[in-house]
Amino acid sequence: MSFCLATESTKTVSLKTGNHLAVLRFEGWAISDPLTEFLTEEFRKTVRDLKIFHVQDRGITNEINIFYPRKKDYWACWSEECAIDLGRRLDVNYVIAGNIQKKGDDEFLIKGRLFSVDMETTLNEFAMNSSGITDSLLLEMKKMAYNVSGLPVPDTLSVGTDTSQVAITEDIKRKREWIKLPPIPSKIKALMMSTALPGSGQIWAQKKYPGYGFMGTEATLGLAALIAYTQYNKAWGGFEKNYNAYQDGTDPHTLIGLRPKVVQYAADTRRYNAFMNNIRSVGASIWIINMVHAYLVAPNDDFFDGEYFFDLEYKPDVNQVQLNFNFP
Amino acid sequence: MLTRFSSILIFHKFKPIFRVIGLTTFLLVSCEEAKYELDNPFDPENMDLDPPALFFHPPEINATVGAPISVELYGLKLDSSAAAHLDVRYDWGSVTVDSVVPGLFFTGENNPMEVTVDEQGVLDIFIYYLPDMESDQNEGGTWSLATVYFSTLSTGESELLYGPNTRLRDANNDSVKIKDFGTGYINVE
Repeated sequence: MSFCLATESTKTVSLKTGNHLAVLRFEGWAISDPLTEFLTEEFRKTVRDLKIFHVQDRGITNEINIFYPRKKDYWACWSEECAIDLGRRLDVNYVIAGNIQKKGDDEFLIKGRLFSVDMETTLNEFAMNSSGITDSLLLEMKKMAYNVSGLPVPDTLSVGTDTSQVAITEDIKRKREWIKLPPIPSKIKALMMSTALPGSGQIWAQKKYPGYGFMGTEATLGLAALIAYTQYNKAWGGFEKNYNAYQDGTDPHTLIGLRPKVVQYAADTRRYNAFMNNIRSVGASIWIINMVHAYLVAPNDDFFDGEYFFDLEYKPDVNQVQLNFNFP
Repeated sequence: MLTRFSSILIFHKFKPIFRVIGLTTFLLVSCEEAKYELDNPFDPENMDLDPPALFFHPPEINATVGAPISVELYGLKLDSSAAAHLDVRYDWGSVTVDSVVPGLFFTGENNPMEVTVDEQGVLDIFIYYLPDMESDQNEGGTWSLATVYFSTLSTGESELLYGPNTRLRDANNDSVKIKDFGTGYINVE
């Protein structure tokens, strides 16, 4: 185990290179994803509170998944090359990557590396052993945050149990039981969004130009349909008025004047209706293409592969695309 | 431990959604087609007349004894005219002429001048367009030339006809072509 990053040296580096830090989600080995996510976020929060680094928000860091989709193990960005590449994409000066491994029944090993994006090197590597329940893990993560920041670990973290964090953990569990909905794969989400509003799924998946294209096309067609409908309504109103007058009329002079109007208005309604039908066909086709396109361009969620709620899978043996539901 | 639960075909799964979207789109942009039948019996186009023509409107009148009735002497797509001699034949034992009122055909800036001669079932109506500063004849068209008011005398059926002396003249005293004549029918009960 090594905890070698001194406070002074960190500050010196910060002055030279800036202090923006991205904490990549820790990789969990034999521990659940929600727990890994929770511990990573607590680590982020502790480092942020220590005010040595300017820690990037989780949402922005996780956007790398959308901008640069990878396999599930992309969190295990263990090499300098990978970490520096991600750090540049996230526009930060430092990157922390790590993993939490379950070694035995109550034994965990936490490993972490601090990379300098500007200097393109590994600044430090940390490893901590934890034995006990989740609370102990949490304390170890906090200790690691102090080490990363180059600050001495306070005595309060060295002994005893962090009861406030226990309460938070219970809150999280309660939320998981009552509030948390099953995750929806990105592709299905994009499909649903584009089904509701053409182009929105593409825009959500960062394919803005096609998204705006679909949205604009459907909006234009909608506007054209609206204009055609207004004209149709006008013609239909004229038709009804004149046709009713024709049916009820008795004066030949009036009737002979109404006859061409009825014919003209009827022809107009048919013309506008045909125009609307064409718009309907084109609009519906583009709508369906938009839905398929949204599905295709949305990023793959590798963490859904057979382990989470549901997934899409091509079965070559039956030549079908299948939607699979999985329940823990 | 995860357990695979079931597999459902995606397109089968989303079929109802596609159906709803399609139906909604159809309802939003599809409208009723205009259907009509121009079969009004008073429409001159349905009277089987070859214009320009003269006809009675209405062509068939049902009335009771003693009840006043009226019939319009109507022109269909007539050319411009300045005067008319309308020779109307009726059953003078069944109905009697009360009065004749000129129609809009010869009404311009001034009201037309009208002379009526009624003799034993033959009603001669002479109507003249009174010129003004702008025109000395009307513009033609489909209009009522005159309205004849009858009183019914006895039950029975009688016919209304245009006699051979019926003619129209323009401002140059030239004949205005009339290709067809309609007939009328009065049924007194």
